Amino acid sequence: MRRPAALLALCAALVASTQALAAELPQRWVSAGGALSEWVSALGGEPRLVGVDTTSQHPESLKGLPSIGYQRQLSAEGILSLRPDVLVGTEEMGPPPVLAQIRKAGVRVELLSSKADLAAVDANLKQLGMLLGAEQKAAQLAADYHQQLEVLQVQVKEAQASHKVPGVLLLVGHAGAKPLIAGQGTAGDWVLRQAGGRNLAEHQGYKNFSNEALAALDPDVVVFSDRALVGEQALQALLKENPALATSRAVRDKRLVSLDPTLLVGGLGPRLPVALQDLAAAFYPAVKVSFTQ
Amino acid sequence: MKQRVQPRTLIICLSLLCLLAVWLSLALGPVSLPLFDTLRAGLRLSGLRIDGEGLQQAEMILGQIRLPRTLLGLAVGAVLALCGVAMQGLFRNPLADPGLVGVSAGAAMGAAVAIVGGSWFGGMPEAFAPYLLSLCAFVGGLGVTALVYRLGRRDGQTNVATMLLAGVAMTALGGAAVGLFSYLADDATLRTLTFWNLGSLNGASYDRLWPLLIVAASVALWLPRRARALNALLLGESEARHLGIEVERLKRELVFCTALGVGAAVAAAGLIGFIGLVVPHLVRLLAGPDHRVVLPASLLAGGVLMLLADLVARLALAPAELPIGIVTAFIGAPFFLVLLIRGRS
Repeated sequence: MRRPAALLALCAALVASTQALAAELPQRWVSAGGALSEWVSALGGEPRLVGVDTTSQHPESLKGLPSIGYQRQLSAEGILSLRPDVLVGTEEMGPPPVLAQIRKAGVRVELLSSKADLAAVDANLKQLGMLLGAEQKAAQLAADYHQQLEVLQVQVKEAQASHKVPGVLLLVGHAGAKPLIAGQGTAGDWVLRQAGGRNLAEHQGYKNFSNEALAALDPDVVVFSDRALVGEQALQALLKENPALATSRAVRDKRLVSLDPTLLVGGLGPRLPVALQDLAAAFYPAVKVSFTQ
Repeated sequence: MKQRVQPRTLIICLSLLCLLAVWLSLALGPVSLPLFDTLRAGLRLSGLRIDGEGLQQAEMILGQIRLPRTLLGLAVGAVLALCGVAMQGLFRNPLADPGLVGVSAGAAMGAAVAIVGGSWFGGMPEAFAPYLLSLCAFVGGLGVTALVYRLGRRDGQTNVATMLLAGVAMTALGGAAVGLFSYLADDATLRTLTFWNLGSLNGASYDRLWPLLIVAASVALWLPRRARALNALLLGESEARHLGIEVERLKRELVFCTALGVGAAVAAAGLIGFIGLVVPHLVRLLAGPDHRVVLPASLLAGGVLMLLADLVARLALAPAELPIGIVTAFIGAPFFLVLLIRGRS
């Protein structure tokens, strides 16, 4: 008696849920991944967010939402307690058994890409737009994003043709102490190259550097990204903790640029084009055209 | 002589506490389920045919999330505490900790290899990949312990002092290896490695639980049978030998048991400190050094402490979650200091 009843209930539930799926979009969202949360907000989905992970720091208002912890170390019950309809995140999200538990509880889990390339941004925007019922806005944002980056590429190429390509280092530090240098294959490296710089670091990943090696590389421009301090304070801390930098051309010519460290995590976000334009302007101060549009 | 608790009273109290901890662990979590729903879902899960309307969520959370997690916590806590007793008995030193024979360092090394080097292995069968980390940790723990044991042996005798020093050296070596792998790791794997080193009962599932439950049950059934021998060993090795204990065999069995038990616990839940050190202490403080009491009482107390620590871990920052190693260390370290100060006065 119980089994047919259960089967019937299951069928009814399936029919109801497919109908519901077509009729209504997920209303309660949990987002894991800084860039994704930013895109959700940019698409007007912020009111639907009921929880974000610790890498979602922008826009500022997201910090007021319940935190589900670090995206690789999610807790199934914690997320379920927010009663979400959908959990969006990148393939960095985990651990896998927890995602399986969340799926089993009937929550839709959407895995998007955190790759640093334009195709990933397009696919992510399309998917998010569909889930939010904002396809047009998503297409518009994607087109703008493409256009901004393409225009920048053309301008950077022109600048590179007429000017010397600066040798650049990206230092990621905490209050200036023992900065890590962004090597090949990092998001930082991609950012430097997009803005027209030549990354002097040839190692893989983010690595510590000796002061002497830092002096030997003698960068034309230093881009610094500090997790604890901002602006002038970060710069002073960096110079104080790394006296070897003082002898470099970058410091002598006062060519030090700050970069928001949250831009380097979790794929390409909406704030990136502006940051790249600023960097390019700092790399090619002599170029008369403005990089901003 | 300090007032001691009667062994029977202690065991009964701990059993009741254990039941209470299990109940709390099943009833509390970031999702607040009404008490009545929890009860009904629990009854349904145990096979009773009662009306299950509106219970899908409660059943899912209880059966798929909280129950495996509770079982994992019990097994890990019990095994770590038992192995702590075994090590403190073997080294005749209350400061001994299961990590002393290198099993934790070996497991950490194995885990680092799996996490950082996972991509180097490449082309692994799909079904095997999720278990690589656990397997590497287990094999690493067993391997390093075997090496430490081997280093402590000379002329058919195991020298406990040599073994201890070899354990210290291997722990340092393991730390260096983990450091090297952290250096080679990229950001993502580095975070994974850090979190693994702090332990977690998060994401427990039945298919990962069975191997540990089998190991835990064998350790829990076997160690208490050696309680008398452990008592004799307290007097000293030659005294134990005169009492007719096969000391070499006992040592071998204790080391093997610890390697197996801690290896399996670490493989399932990552590194969780202080349970193996503090729980046997606590029990001896209450009931005296008789291993016939210390072993079963530590088993229960280990489970209780682990479940309570896990409650803190999952509720303190909900909906996020604290690694449980942080909680056990926050409870364990001050407790240890109190013992130290009280022992001096």
